Amino acid sequence: MTSTETRMAGRLGDSPLRPDGTLKVTGEFAYSSDLWHDDMVWGVTLRSPHPSARIRAIDLTDALRVPGVSAILTAKDVPGENAVGLEHLDTPALADGVVRYQGEPVALVAADHPETARRAAARIVVDYEVLPAVTDPRTALDPDTPWVHADHDNLVRDLRIRRGDPSPTAPVVVSLDFEVGMQDQAFLGPESGLAVPDGEGGVDLYVATQWLHVDQGQVCRVLGLPPEQVRLTLAGVGGAFGGREDLSMHVHACLLALHTGKPVKMSYARDESFFGHVHRHPAWLRYEFGARETGELVYAKADILFDGGAYASSTPAVVGNGGTLGLGPYRIPNVHVDARGVYTNNPTCGAMRGFGCVQAAFAHEALMDELADRIGMDRVEIRALNGMVEGDLTITGQVVDSAAPVAELIRTVRDLPLPAEPAGERDIRELPGGASNTTHGEGVRRGIGYAVTYKNVGFSEGFDDYSTARVRLEVVGGEPVATVHTAAAEVGQGLITIEQQICRTELGVEQVVVHPKDTTVGSGGSTSASRQTYVTGGAVKAACEAVRASVLRRASEALGRAELRLDGEKIVAAGGEVVASLAEVLTDPVEETVEWRHRPTYPIDPETGQGNAHVQYAFSAHRAVVDVDVELGLVKVVALDTAQDVGRALNPDAVVGQIQGGSAQGMGLALMEEIVVQDGIVKNPSFTDYLIPTILDMPPMQVKVLEYADPHAPYGVRGVGEPPTISSGPAVAAAIRAATGKPLRRVPVRPEHITF
Amino acid sequence: MRPFAYDRPDTAAAAVAAVADRPDAAFLGGGTNLVDHLRLGIADPGLLVDVTSLTSTEIVDIDGGLRIGAGVTNADLAADPRVRARLPVLAAALLSGASGQLRNMATTGGNPLQRTRCPYFQDPASACNKRVPGSGCAAIGGATRNHAILGASEHCIATHPSDMAVALAALDTQVRILGPDGGRTLAFTDLHRLPGDTPEQDTELAHGELITAIDVSYPRGRHAYRKVRDRASYAFALVSVAAVLDVVDGTVLDARIALGGVAHTPWRAVRAEDTLRGGPATEEAFAAAAEAELADARPQPGFDGGNAFKIPLARRTLTATLRQTTPRETA
Repeated sequence: MTSTETRMAGRLGDSPLRPDGTLKVTGEFAYSSDLWHDDMVWGVTLRSPHPSARIRAIDLTDALRVPGVSAILTAKDVPGENAVGLEHLDTPALADGVVRYQGEPVALVAADHPETARRAAARIVVDYEVLPAVTDPRTALDPDTPWVHADHDNLVRDLRIRRGDPSPTAPVVVSLDFEVGMQDQAFLGPESGLAVPDGEGGVDLYVATQWLHVDQGQVCRVLGLPPEQVRLTLAGVGGAFGGREDLSMHVHACLLALHTGKPVKMSYARDESFFGHVHRHPAWLRYEFGARETGELVYAKADILFDGGAYASSTPAVVGNGGTLGLGPYRIPNVHVDARGVYTNNPTCGAMRGFGCVQAAFAHEALMDELADRIGMDRVEIRALNGMVEGDLTITGQVVDSAAPVAELIRTVRDLPLPAEPAGERDIRELPGGASNTTHGEGVRRGIGYAVTYKNVGFSEGFDDYSTARVRLEVVGGEPVATVHTAAAEVGQGLITIEQQICRTELGVEQVVVHPKDTTVGSGGSTSASRQTYVTGGAVKAACEAVRASVLRRASEALGRAELRLDGEKIVAAGGEVVASLAEVLTDPVEETVEWRHRPTYPIDPETGQGNAHVQYAFSAHRAVVDVDVELGLVKVVALDTAQDVGRALNPDAVVGQIQGGSAQGMGLALMEEIVVQDGIVKNPSFTDYLIPTILDMPPMQVKVLEYADPHAPYGVRGVGEPPTISSGPAVAAAIRAATGKPLRRVPVRPEHITF
Repeated sequence: MRPFAYDRPDTAAAAVAAVADRPDAAFLGGGTNLVDHLRLGIADPGLLVDVTSLTSTEIVDIDGGLRIGAGVTNADLAADPRVRARLPVLAAALLSGASGQLRNMATTGGNPLQRTRCPYFQDPASACNKRVPGSGCAAIGGATRNHAILGASEHCIATHPSDMAVALAALDTQVRILGPDGGRTLAFTDLHRLPGDTPEQDTELAHGELITAIDVSYPRGRHAYRKVRDRASYAFALVSVAAVLDVVDGTVLDARIALGGVAHTPWRAVRAEDTLRGGPATEEAFAAAAEAELADARPQPGFDGGNAFKIPLARRTLTATLRQTTPRETA
């Protein structure tokens, strides 16, 4: 008998149906805001109306009289340490004597109905002494600016990169200043969850998040409980994009649950959600390129300022990425970069898809166009000329040791078919303004823009970045079934499908159960930095390999044969003879748990910024074609085509989905998305006033996926989720510049910037 | 939100009496604006009187036009064949407003009464003379890119958000009103008021007066509604223009023009109409009409860059709309 490879749907390289796909499309998927428990009470948060104030007193008398209220908690009710934070523990779970941004949580109310809780919260009297607010990050470091935190100046992180000639000169010098507005993640599922006390002093928290274990650690600290007593389970996540890396209602619901002894549900309203999570850092960027007359970059200088808002959140990492990656995917011998993140009393800013790189890319890509124009060179070819290739050094002196196809990517998008040139009577839906009859094409000019960018994948600068996978193989009803258990958060990107595909491929079984994501298995690390397919994928692969080895060892012992291998659901000898079925060998389940790490990264030198900071780089390019009504200032993106190296597309449909979604988000920042903050106060906390692109704003996309496997990564994968968010916006901005001739040194670009 | 009573009388007259009786009572129609305001703490009526089933949901023919019941939804009105054929400016304005879901709820009587989307009005923590008379106007010097360029006062620079109302202002529209003392009719262009020193009062309706129907006459001429906004759908107008131009042999016999997004009211462009009427339908005439209408336009400076751009934007949108409402051979 010879073995036959049974081709099974849903392996790596296929695009099987997502287990959550149909439910989401039909509206049946249970999101965290749908959680329910008998006898639960509702928690609400009282927030500061002021961006900077001292709390003189809090009077709960009237609020406690509201019938139905079961608890009201303030900072003094925090049993453990009143401090959370992703990188610095600088954020109180509840404000203690001072508030540092509009919307900072001050008190919690639990009641039998959310409206009752809100009414009670409105009766809490907080005596604020309003203080001057630090709202201009550009003067945050001035000596006479007050400190946002009494024990720390307003500098969160200062990163410098010094490489090559400290005083370089070049025959061609171009420079610019750029400004990037504050973008919101705009996920649709509000911050929500359910905390259930266990009656023994502990609590189970069901919550939508990006990293269960880092949440668990923070919740434990505030509650003063060990991890065994604070168990987290991932609830249905309605989008994340970095906005769920920091805690929102996690600790609050647990505090109320432990205090009342009842399950507590919290679910933010839409306007509250704008205060419930961090945003993308606004940035001010000053760039200078020096180049030869033939186009080769001689040097680059950058000065980048990020407004971190009231608390540190991910600002150190954002500064890290903005600094180490902020000159783009180019070969630059002489480098001078200063990147800083500062505290202000503006909304806290932190993680959002592509952070650090998104802001910088607008500047370096605008300047690259400027350089090309100055020396009379093609905008694509100047990028191909200067683009990194494998073996080049980054500006931190790290060798790029896998594919860096910058020239191929940018030329690929250039060579994709262009949309038809407009001719004759046009369908107004294809014109700027769309179906609202805004224009019939009178003042419409077409422009084309290009951008190429890169991003680190995974956590950097020496972070111990790992994931844990537990894989179990057993026979159920005569069929072998694999169960994969990780704590890595599925936030909509498709990780659970990837986990199934890996198990099917490695173990040859068809049925793969994805165990609910919780903290009864080791950390999966964060669903961010485009890292889960790489790192948790690596962990699942390793766990499968361990399971396979155990199964074969067991088979060898039982059958007295060596050199066995698994082929589909058969145990096969070296000669190809089928010696047993998997089901025959699996009399008892086999289970293995593996903690898996990617190659280490290292901190950068504090003086020179040199070092092997990153584990992998992911590259992408976009070509945007826009029609701009130059009389009205309106933009219609006609095409947004892209090429991206994904190493290996384990799930091609998911790859394209990530690229399309990421491109839309980048385009949104270029065209319309901005949280308007005046004196520390958010002016547009709603989806009526904070605009994100709709399907009418989004053009069809041509997506060209390159697969240059990274030999250092499992299956050769390269992170996919973030690069499209980075290169799409700068390409759109460049296309608008091409159509209008305007410099456009700020995003989002609004009609008044284009036309008037 | 504070507790409120809810009443559902049997007749419009009873509803009017119920609201007139209590200074803190309000009519509840489709609720697309008022319910938001209850949640935001902008409005806190002590009594809501539900009128959703008390006014007509019919669109009936009247001499030379239509009578639109106050209960007709925006969706039904936009889809009505007579509206589409004879009042296309109204159909277009309706369809460019809000979303399909909102248009299914919003009513003919309620839409023109929706309140401004000024962010300072929307935020109970901000000073706003419209919300709290005498408290000041935080919008002045603030984020003003969506604010008024025409008819603003030192007390209020808000704009009216409705698209439908811009079309109704351009048309010959009468508002049928039921009050505690009986019925009356008001020209639509007299319904809304400029802010002056009483911006808290959006309209000339007295407390307790209920819009029961809106009469619209069919105009002669070509219709167009243009809306300029920050994205292709689901956004308020930066500037919009409703125009009906009756051009015969190159001469403008009649012009009906209104602007949206520029003033506290749907802005009837009387000066532009006067400039055009009786003259040639030419580019020069359109430019002169726009110039005349916007002669008194004043930009609002703001920390966000202000709204000066709206003046040329309004001019260009107006001339483009006039061009579109003119037969090609004469333009």
